[in-house]
Amino acid sequence: MMIRKITAPVLLGLTMAACSAQSSEEAEREEENLLTADWQEITDKAEGQEVNMYMWGGNDNINRYLDDWVAPRLKEMHDIELSRVPVSDAQDFINQLLDEKTAGKTAGSMDIIWINGENFKAAKDNELLFGDFSGQLPNFNSYINPEAPEISHDFGEPVDGLEAPWGKAQFVFVHDEQKVGTPPKSMEELADWVEKNPGQFTYPALPDFTGSAFIRNVLYETTGGHEQYERPAAQIEDLESRLEPMWDYLNDIEPYLWRNGETYPESLSKLDQLYASGEVAMTMSYDPALAASEVLKGRFPESTRTFLLDAGTLSNTHFLSIPFNSSDKAGAMVAINEMMSPEAQTAKLSPENWGDLSALDLEKLSPEQQAAMNNVELGEATLPLEELENNRLPELSSDYIEILEKGWMENVAKE
Amino acid sequence: MNTTISPLKIILFLLGFVIIGLPFIALLLSSLAAGWRWPDLIPASFSFRAWDYILFGSARTWQSIGTSLLIALIVTIVNVVLAVPAANALVRFQFRGKWLAEAILFAPIIIPPFVAVMGIHLTFLRFGLTETILGVVLAHLSPTLPYMVRAVVISYSTLSTERENQARMLGAGPLLRFYYIVLPHLLPGIAAGASLSILISLSQYLITFIIGSGQVVTLPILLFPFISGGDPAIGSAYSLMFAGMAILALLSLDVALKNYYKKKGVRSNGEGGE
Repeated sequence: MMIRKITAPVLLGLTMAACSAQSSEEAEREEENLLTADWQEITDKAEGQEVNMYMWGGNDNINRYLDDWVAPRLKEMHDIELSRVPVSDAQDFINQLLDEKTAGKTAGSMDIIWINGENFKAAKDNELLFGDFSGQLPNFNSYINPEAPEISHDFGEPVDGLEAPWGKAQFVFVHDEQKVGTPPKSMEELADWVEKNPGQFTYPALPDFTGSAFIRNVLYETTGGHEQYERPAAQIEDLESRLEPMWDYLNDIEPYLWRNGETYPESLSKLDQLYASGEVAMTMSYDPALAASEVLKGRFPESTRTFLLDAGTLSNTHFLSIPFNSSDKAGAMVAINEMMSPEAQTAKLSPENWGDLSALDLEKLSPEQQAAMNNVELGEATLPLEELENNRLPELSSDYIEILEKGWMENVAKE
Repeated sequence: MNTTISPLKIILFLLGFVIIGLPFIALLLSSLAAGWRWPDLIPASFSFRAWDYILFGSARTWQSIGTSLLIALIVTIVNVVLAVPAANALVRFQFRGKWLAEAILFAPIIIPPFVAVMGIHLTFLRFGLTETILGVVLAHLSPTLPYMVRAVVISYSTLSTERENQARMLGAGPLLRFYYIVLPHLLPGIAAGASLSILISLSQYLITFIIGSGQVVTLPILLFPFISGGDPAIGSAYSLMFAGMAILALLSLDVALKNYYKKKGVRSNGEGGE
């Protein structure tokens, strides 16, 4: 969800990370044990542990879901104390873990971290994660299809059991029904609409996460589908000319954007603010139920709806992981397992709690569990789960994302 | 003192209200707004969602305010202890490499704290100072100390040594001389430096987050994710709490200062005549 550029300090840390990281043999053996022990043993060990969960803390719904729904249940069922630590950017704690690795700190305070995409890749490349633990979790084994591409890969990076799926996200456009009667069904129709309604549409400037996702959607539609980008970017020789139609598209709509495209909102929250205050008629979100929850809060108008394109939109999965130096790994595993239970995932789906799509494979649930999930009132602003499910496109790997972000600066922002 | 109300004063008061008061009204409205759309001057509907979250939710607001104030208080005390001798030396002694000492003392104003804090974090990790209030206090010294030194240096430079010499001739030792002659003169400078030190310490996010590693939770740690995450209602409510906390801290400083002068029998604005 919150994925941003890992900047210079990480690279610095990377070069320094070659230093010592010794832990006593005993602790190491115990950790090995957690990855092979049976579940009963792990839950016994988890009892009474204090688990610190480091996560982005900028949404009161999400915070409350953890504090008021998840934490009391963990306390009651497993005597685990879950303490949520709010962070404004996932990159911050990755940097911190890098420092801790460099300094050889073996008893860290982070037990669960919420990551995906570039942050996962940075953590994996620098060996900041505990190990192949997800296969140990009963709820992972019962309700998740490990072969599904959105579970086995995180933005093109093999997951290798280092993180367990917590939820799914999908790109949707958000519009005000009163201003956009019939929402566009393709990028072409969107361009037509933008031309006819100057000043009513814009997207967040890259490298904003959602702005970047918008142009990846443009990329798929204007250059003939996503399949061609499954190879590493370096292997496609004529990549630059393949990207050409996308830049043309973005430049063609630019004069009709908000403020004639002379400037772009610097982040999605700024664009949401423009939409909330009625300055533009559309915004976008990588969270299909976020609009509904903003309507519940009263921030977005009642007439807010969401739409997809016929060719589908990008989707990704966000994950929970355990850092290498977590002091309460057993507790972390039990907590993650509980957060993946059908009950927790159903509660998470409700926009009143959060509105985040379930990570579970619907077909693996019992009929009652399926019914419970389907009965969640998603709000009028959210599309039906089935419609979302049938229009999912895979994410690009991060080497492309970098190329696109640079290219946007040169081809669109500068001109 | 002139007690008649002049038109200039009224204008100044109105100006002050527009500049200082209006933003607070906007913040208050925004914290209570449930949907605030152009062209409404006042939100269409109100809700206590944001206040409910920060005051009654499990948001740990009060605890974080206590932590913030405790850290700011310790930081300021340490600053005074460090800054007074430093300012004394800088003003009254000529020594080789004085410019270097000054440059080092004032460097944190010019060098972005982020640069230093990355290195500090690694060092503190080795010493086991991360995730502790002590570590955060030490890290807060770097952006606050220069302002304290600066303020005390100015006080010192208007204090001639003649009075101290006189006291010395009358048999007063160094402690007595400091307490009865130097300190009263320095107090306005110390108060100015302390206000800055408190405000700067209270508003640190990055340093607190990196050194405290999320285990030392001050108010900015709770506030920042909402501002960058774009929930204006909760962001506004937290900002008001923050402003209230800062004003409270400054007011207590002011009251303490006034009490001191009262005890000394000197009027607070009558000091400083050399």
